[in-house]
Amino acid sequence: MAKSTEPSLLQGTLDLLILHALQRGELHGFAIAQTIHLLSDQVLTVEEGSLYPALYRLELDGAICAHWGVSENNRRARYYEITKRGRKLLAAQAQTWNRLSTAVQIVLSR
Amino acid sequence: MRRFWLKLWRRRRLQQDLEDELAFHREMTAEHGNSLPLGRGGTETVVREQAYDQWRFVFLENLGRDLVYAARGLRRSPALVATALVSLALGIGVNSTVFSLGMEFLFSEPSLRDASSVVAIRLGGNSHSTERVLNFVRDSGVFQDVAGNNEEVFVNWNDGVDTRPVFGVATSMNYFSSLGVPVEYGRGILPNDPKEVVVLSHDFWVKHLNGDPAILGRALNLDGRACTVVGILPANHRTLIGFGFSPDLYMPSYLDATLLAIYARLKPGMSRGEARAALENVAQQLDRVFPEQFKYYKHNQLMAVSGVARLTEQSEMFSTGVFLALLLGVTGLVLLIACINVASLLLARAAARRPEMATRLALGAGRGRLLQQLLVESSLLSILGAACGLAASQFTASMLAQIRLPLPLPIHLRIEPDWRLVAYAVFLTVFATIACGLLPAWRSVKESIAADFHRDRGMRLRRTLVVAQLAVSLVVLFIGFLFLHNLGAAGAMSPGFDVRNTLRAEIHLPPATYKDSQHINLYAGQALRELGAIPGITGAAVARIVPFTDNTHFSSDLVFPSSGKTVRAVFQWNAVSPAFFQVMDIPVLQGRVFRDDDRAGQHVVVVNRTFVKRYLGNQPPIGASFLWGAQGKTPYEIIGVVEGTKTMTIGEEDAPQLYETLTQIANNRPRIQFVLRSAIPPAQQVQPVHEVLHRLDPAVGTEVATMYSSIGLAFLPSQVGGVLMGTIGALALLLAAIGLYGVMVYSVARRTREIGVRIAIGAAPRDITRMVLIDSAQLIGIGSAIGLLVALLIAKPLAIFLVPGLRPTDPLSFSAVLFTLAITGMIATWGPVRRALAVDPMTSLRQD
Repeated sequence: MAKSTEPSLLQGTLDLLILHALQRGELHGFAIAQTIHLLSDQVLTVEEGSLYPALYRLELDGAICAHWGVSENNRRARYYEITKRGRKLLAAQAQTWNRLSTAVQIVLSR
Repeated sequence: MRRFWLKLWRRRRLQQDLEDELAFHREMTAEHGNSLPLGRGGTETVVREQAYDQWRFVFLENLGRDLVYAARGLRRSPALVATALVSLALGIGVNSTVFSLGMEFLFSEPSLRDASSVVAIRLGGNSHSTERVLNFVRDSGVFQDVAGNNEEVFVNWNDGVDTRPVFGVATSMNYFSSLGVPVEYGRGILPNDPKEVVVLSHDFWVKHLNGDPAILGRALNLDGRACTVVGILPANHRTLIGFGFSPDLYMPSYLDATLLAIYARLKPGMSRGEARAALENVAQQLDRVFPEQFKYYKHNQLMAVSGVARLTEQSEMFSTGVFLALLLGVTGLVLLIACINVASLLLARAAARRPEMATRLALGAGRGRLLQQLLVESSLLSILGAACGLAASQFTASMLAQIRLPLPLPIHLRIEPDWRLVAYAVFLTVFATIACGLLPAWRSVKESIAADFHRDRGMRLRRTLVVAQLAVSLVVLFIGFLFLHNLGAAGAMSPGFDVRNTLRAEIHLPPATYKDSQHINLYAGQALRELGAIPGITGAAVARIVPFTDNTHFSSDLVFPSSGKTVRAVFQWNAVSPAFFQVMDIPVLQGRVFRDDDRAGQHVVVVNRTFVKRYLGNQPPIGASFLWGAQGKTPYEIIGVVEGTKTMTIGEEDAPQLYETLTQIANNRPRIQFVLRSAIPPAQQVQPVHEVLHRLDPAVGTEVATMYSSIGLAFLPSQVGGVLMGTIGALALLLAAIGLYGVMVYSVARRTREIGVRIAIGAAPRDITRMVLIDSAQLIGIGSAIGLLVALLIAKPLAIFLVPGLRPTDPLSFSAVLFTLAITGMIATWGPVRRALAVDPMTSLRQD
């Protein structure tokens, strides 16, 4: 049971994190995972098993778009970019998340 | 929508993209020294699948794959497919045929504009009225328009070489315009046309005039009058009578004596109830204006000519409706058997695939996904079955339509697929899919996860199905056998005269030349002499009525002056020449038949046995005389008693009959019937007889046929009923046997292991056989008991279709059905038992 101390991602928060990571510019899949890992002070780990289905879903929804580019080490990589629609979605999801986490905080503090 | 196009756009590259991307991810991960956990074994496949799924048309692609899989699976078990397809094709095919036949009979719309507002009118209980009465009804202003037709007019058509009678309908001048009868070429008869015009049926035009469009505007010689062809009806023209009645032509009624059936178009917004009330008024006025005519105020009828209302308002349609409903019910049962067959086959197959299902469930297949696949399989099967069935029914329907019924009326059934048939077939298919697919599919998915102890329940379901199948088969078989037996009984019944060695010739004299009875008698006498001289002809007679082709019955008071008694007599009437009884081989019981010198003076009659029994009591018949009607003045003397004949149907009760001699009645009808007796096979005499009659007067319409072929109508109802029901009964037996065999084979096969155990611990093959046989005997017993009960319940109303003397609870039918079923069941059990016994116990033990 000791393993469960490592926090896993809440359902639905992955989209939010991906969109947030893409806010600063286009990234490839691996970089997205890494960004999230680093930004969370190495707490959150995004497994490829969740990442790629999420990316493909977001792409289909039109929140992000993708194109093939060349990576920093000269390899062909698929770069994702947030769209207008994605930014709207991000704003909405971030707001929802803030309200939710505040509410949870309030509950726990009493 | 955007997603749809996006999916389509990226579809092709998707897989490659994903591969490349994952490869890149792996490399990067490796470079960063595994700082991020890479998927454990197998995860990558899942990733690929999940990401991929987003971009696919999951449902459709699964469906496609299921279809391919199902087709491949079905191809591997041809026996199952063949059985199921044959079952469904027979079930659906027979149903569709009966359905189209029933629809054609019951719901065919007559070819009219807005048929729902047209009604048929009968005044004073008469089916036909004079044109004067018709005009009176029209002038009353109750209806928007009133038209009439006589649908039974023979016309002599001279094509320049030969004269032959054709079947016409005489109409009032406004018939086409007021009823709006559609015409394919040319036009209908217009109110201000001369009387010498004619509209041809499509069949007549094609068959006799080679479909030549130039015929429009030319004249045909009909009854010696040159009639201009003004129009040609479409091929799908349906008459107001329906029942496939197809006359050759329509022409204006030109003889005053022609009676017309009245049809009227209701004013917009008028209901039939209101029209009926208004018609009562008109009828009462009629009685005041024409007091010398029939009484019209009673028995008035106003009936719809199409749709459901026609069935409820026209009483003679009722028994046809009942028969077809019965037929449809029985064929529905056959389809049910077919469905049960397929269901048990699929059930058996599903059980055999239990390990496969279990494996797939364990590997993570969704239950809904498996259900979908199984349903796809059974749908594929039932759609194939429906297609085969529709093809089969098209085939049988076109065969049926080709059959020229041996009737004195031109009947041509137009059975064509229409939307109702399609809807019905689709309904059947859906029904079949659900019945055959859902149950086994659900069971097999449920069973596969459940442990083995649920197996008993599975067996119980299958046994219930077997019992249900047996019960339904028994009911269908019973009805089929009953009608077959009925057919046999009807075939064995004698019409009361010789139909094997006799011929019938029907003559239509042109009324213009043969004005009165003197001319007609002259012709008849000469014809009789010449016909009698044909080699091989041993007798020739004239008859007003040949049984089964026509009838006239009287209901009159007979006054016997000797005893002063008055009897209300209902009897069949006929007028014949002296040789009639000898030619027809009707036995004379007492007294004598007519002689040539029974002319002037005493009126003489011959009666049949039933007439004597019913109306003369103990009075000696010969020499008895009576007055016909309360006001009758002429005494009629009975000079002979003969054996009775049937008059309209072979199955009817014996009716009283009375014959007069043709020389003592006003023989002024231009239709004459000759009956001839031949010493050689009568079919060989048709040509010589025709030649003699044609030589005598080429202007006379002649039709010659053997007696057997011309009275086919009499045998028709019970024959058609018997053949249809018998066929369906045989079909049901076949299907039931197939299903029973399949289920028995399977249920014994499932017990192979048990049988192995039993043999291993010392059971003799005989014991095993007995055990399994007793088991099936139980099933057969229960099924038969239930079926018998239902059959007894529904047997009562069937009595109206049976010949007298045959009771619906006929023990012969019952025992035959039970015997057939038992034998089939036992044979179906025997094979699998032998197979089970032949299996090595060790093999069967290892099997599970």
